[in-house]
Amino acid sequence: MNDFSTDVLEESRPGEVGIVAYSDFHSSEPLDFALGGRLESFDIRYETYGRLNADASNAILVCHALTGDHHCAGVYSINDRKEGWWNNIIGPNKPLDTNKYFIVCSNCIGGCMGSTGPSSLNPATGRPYNLSFPALTVKDMVAAQARLLDHLGIKTLALAIGGSMGGMQVLQWAVDYPERVRKAIALATTSRENAQSIAFNCVGRTSIMRDPLWNNGNYSADTPPRFGLGIARMMAHITYLSEKGMEEKFGRQLRQGSDSKFAFDSGFEVENYLRYQGSSFVNRFDANSYLYITRALDLYDLRAPDGTLETSLKKVKARVMAVGFTSDWLYPPEQNLEIVQALLRCGKDATYAEIESDLGHDSFLIESPKLYELIEYFLEA
Amino acid sequence: MSGNKQISKKKKVELREICEWVGYGDRVMDLGCGRGILLAELVNLKNVYALGVDSDFGKILRAVKRGVNVMHCDILTALKTFDDNSFDWIICSNTVSELENPKEIVEESLRVAKRVVIGFVNYGFWYNRLYLLFKGGRTVNKIYQKGWDSARPANQISVNSFKEFCEANDIKINRKHFLKGNWRAPCKFMPNLFAGYALFEISKK
Repeated sequence: MNDFSTDVLEESRPGEVGIVAYSDFHSSEPLDFALGGRLESFDIRYETYGRLNADASNAILVCHALTGDHHCAGVYSINDRKEGWWNNIIGPNKPLDTNKYFIVCSNCIGGCMGSTGPSSLNPATGRPYNLSFPALTVKDMVAAQARLLDHLGIKTLALAIGGSMGGMQVLQWAVDYPERVRKAIALATTSRENAQSIAFNCVGRTSIMRDPLWNNGNYSADTPPRFGLGIARMMAHITYLSEKGMEEKFGRQLRQGSDSKFAFDSGFEVENYLRYQGSSFVNRFDANSYLYITRALDLYDLRAPDGTLETSLKKVKARVMAVGFTSDWLYPPEQNLEIVQALLRCGKDATYAEIESDLGHDSFLIESPKLYELIEYFLEA
Repeated sequence: MSGNKQISKKKKVELREICEWVGYGDRVMDLGCGRGILLAELVNLKNVYALGVDSDFGKILRAVKRGVNVMHCDILTALKTFDDNSFDWIICSNTVSELENPKEIVEESLRVAKRVVIGFVNYGFWYNRLYLLFKGGRTVNKIYQKGWDSARPANQISVNSFKEFCEANDIKINRKHFLKGNWRAPCKFMPNLFAGYALFEISKK
């Protein structure tokens, strides 16, 4: 699947995974969802980099965030200028070293990048599931990934790693499949969504559902609720940045060629940027998937019915490291620390580290030598 | 950085002493764990459950590299995490002198751990007294590397003032170990005057 040449292998400087391709795993076994729904069969789209060793002990699972996908490293062709979303961390001699490890990343169930989700055709009706897709939770995303790992012959993961929603999946992995995870790294995440995060998701969903084209989820592929989804993305994108980061990047700069300061549809550079984020997102993301996945985030709560994290976390066998970023106000450092505190109270092996960054929630996606070292040391120790 | 290296060398005797005190399989928390050297040694020698606490990212990173569990946060936050008596040992080696709230931290430590080790540079050491007498200012040497204008604020603890603190706060001193000015040989005679480094094991009365 990966394409690196042997001379790159010999060197110790960071290399690239190069040209990659995705694969599709079809499960004809049904998947029962935590909240009661069921898919009779489903597909998971995934990519792998590096080689699985003989005893299948070198696998790393990368879990993507809300709007991410399975394409986390490499390019699809020589002309492809956009690398996978975590290309800076995955590759030969990078922190997730493809010379040593076999890296798997899959599009989550309920998504819209090739895995079965609301926009997929329901084989029973020949029409898209839309809102008849089962109610989704992070637990279901992880259960589907577990099926993929069974298919790939991976019993235990050397590491499960992810940020934001990916971090939630990592923790869910450690709780639901304690025997299958040796190490876990959760970045910029939380053990449950707080009211503020639910509120933001609510605004995004309302924006989609109030778009007349949404039509109770029954829109056609050619006429999706573009405005609703675009606005949802614009708002969410603000929560991924920080006040300082935005000020440094845009300040009060006016858009080039903007002739009037009082035109509502142009003006400040930051507006232009957000509109671009909104409109480009619409081309790659399905509105119903956005509804389902944000709802899964809202419902995420690792606490046991007795209200404590400890009751669920005492099953964990993995060594866990949680990492908070100082300017992340979506899942602030304390919410990451809290996970480690609960694990330590249960006598588990857990580590908390905090990285200073002005780049907000998205810090975990952006090049950071501190994060690289932390991941590499934790993985190798 | 050679001064720091010398201090690490000097601390080896302290490390050996603490390793003798701690029991096999004990639960140990190190406040101000630095690069996790002591904890890694304790894991290695005594198979302890180890947790380090430090506020410096660079040190946390080295401790992670040693495979030690660490919390990157302030000491009080770390202590508040735990129930009473959740640890066998809390170690404050060269930490108390840098705290703004030493009494609170010592009391919290005694709540969370059955036994607490406090290690500090003895400011009552004769050299410091002569330095002040003749030079009229605080010592600047290999131990106190920086002058007042660039050093971190430090509580100047002496052997006797620590004993008085324990007496006044109902703290039992179970064990003490003093090192001479070279931080190597034990110091048995008039430690308040002749000990360069002091190590106490304390617990609640």
